[in-house]
Amino acid sequence: MATTHHLTLPVDEARVRSLALGDLVFVDGDIVMTAGLPTHRRILEAMDGARELPFPLDGAALFHLGSYSVDRPEGFEILYMNPTTSTRFNPVMPAIIRHFGLRIVCGKGGLDDASAAAMAEVGCVYLSILGGGAALHSDAIRQVIAVGWTDLVSHYRLVKLRVEGLGPLTVEIDSSGNNGYAIRQNTAQDRLALLLNDVDT
Amino acid sequence: MAISYEAIRDLTANLYEWSLKKIPEDAKRALETAIASERNETARKVLAMMRQSARRAEESDRFVCSDSGVPVYFIKVGTRAEFSGDVKRAIRDGFARLVETIEPPLLKHVTDPLTNERGHAGKDMPIVSWDMLDGADYIDVTCSPKALGSGRWAELQIMSFPTIQEIEKYILEVVVRSAAQQCPPVTIGVGIGGTFDHCAKLAKTATLRPLGSLNPEPKLAAMEERLTAAINQLGYGPMGTGGDTTALAVHVEYSSGHGFTPVAVCFNCWISRRTRARLYNDGHVERVE
Repeated sequence: MATTHHLTLPVDEARVRSLALGDLVFVDGDIVMTAGLPTHRRILEAMDGARELPFPLDGAALFHLGSYSVDRPEGFEILYMNPTTSTRFNPVMPAIIRHFGLRIVCGKGGLDDASAAAMAEVGCVYLSILGGGAALHSDAIRQVIAVGWTDLVSHYRLVKLRVEGLGPLTVEIDSSGNNGYAIRQNTAQDRLALLLNDVDT
Repeated sequence: MAISYEAIRDLTANLYEWSLKKIPEDAKRALETAIASERNETARKVLAMMRQSARRAEESDRFVCSDSGVPVYFIKVGTRAEFSGDVKRAIRDGFARLVETIEPPLLKHVTDPLTNERGHAGKDMPIVSWDMLDGADYIDVTCSPKALGSGRWAELQIMSFPTIQEIEKYILEVVVRSAAQQCPPVTIGVGIGGTFDHCAKLAKTATLRPLGSLNPEPKLAAMEERLTAAINQLGYGPMGTGGDTTALAVHVEYSSGHGFTPVAVCFNCWISRRTRARLYNDGHVERVE
C-alpha cells in the first residue's frame, strides 16, 4: 500500500530518505524548474565557475517543467507549466545532483541508473508528474520568486516558483538506488522475450 | 460560391486551438474504460488525474499540455470544391494569426533543425499532407499537432518479404525501445507496406482513426487485438509508472508494395490530439471531431 506524503520544501535528507518507491507526494514550497538542455549546460558552466547562477541551487527541488513566463510591470507571471521528458538530461544529471545535493528531481519519463546512484549518495528522489496536466499543475502556482536567464525562450528559463498542493506525484526513484523505470524496463524486456517465444512456437 | 482564403485561414487556426484545449470524445471514453479495467491502484489514480486534467483544461479554456507541438494538417480536397483565394497562404497566415491572438500564448516549439533555434514559424510550417475526395463539394481538414514527447519515438524499418510474426516482433521491439516515455496510455499507429514515404503516412493516419475502431480487414483486426493485448502485458502503465494500461489502441493500416516491406510505428500520447472539420463551398463548417 502506497503511503501519501505532504512535503514542505526545503526538505532535509532524512525526510527524503523516508520516501519509498511508489509513494504519493504532494509538494508545498519553492521549486526550481526548466525544460531546457541549454539551461542544464549553463548550470554545468556555473559549477565550473564560468557563469553565475541566477539563484542558488543547493538542496533544491529541480523540476523538469516548461513554463510560459511573461514580464509584467508588477513582476513575472507564469501562465502555465507542464513537464518535459527527463531522460533527455540523463548525461548531465548525475553531476548536477551531486554538486548541489539536490533533494528532489521531478519530471516525466524518469532518469537512468547513473542518476539513481547519484541520488542514493546525496539523498535525493525522482518524482513523476503527470504529462498533459498543464491546467492542474498551473493551479498549484502561488508566487513567482525569480526568473533567471530571460535571454532564453520561455520554457528554457530557470524559474523559482512557490507552489501549494502540487501533486499527487509518485516516487519512481528512491534514495536507496531503486529505479522504478529500470525495474519496469527489465520486466518489459523479460515479458517481450516470453511473448516472442509464444509467437515462435 | 467558393471557399475563401479567410474561411480556410480561420478554420485551420481554430482546429489547432480546439485540439490544444479539449481531448476528443473517444479519448475520454477510452480513459473511462481504462479506469474501470486497470488493476493497479496507482495507475488508476494516474488515469483519474488525466481525466481531471482534461476536464479542467476544457472548462477553463486552457491547454491540456504545454507542448502545443508543431501544426500538422491532413487535408482532403473535394473534386467539386471551388476556391476563391490562395489555400497554402491561408494555412500559413492562419497559424501566424493564431500565434498572435491565442490565449494563453503558445511556447516557441518550431525548431530550425540546422541551428536548434526555436520560434513560432519556420520552413515548411505548417506541415500539410494533401489528398482528394471524389465528388465532394467541401474540403475535409484534420489537425493533429505533433509534440516532442510523442513525436520522437516513431521508427521505420524496411524488411524483405517479412512474415506477420516478424512484423509484430519489430512493432513490439519499437514499443519497448520507447520505454513508455511518450506519455502513455498511447495510441499506436502502424503502417505496413507501400513505399518508405507512403508507409510512414499510413502509420500516422492510423493514429487518427476513431480510438479502438478495428480495421475492416480481418487479418489486420486480429493483429490489432493481438498487439494491444501484448503491449498491455508489458507492464509500463499510465505515464510509464506501472500498470495494465500502456496502449489505448493499436491501429494498423497496410498498402500493397514490392517485396521490400517498410513497417512504420508511431505514437499519439494519452491526450490523442485530433480535430477535424469540413468546410463547404457555401462557407459553412461542419465539425466532425
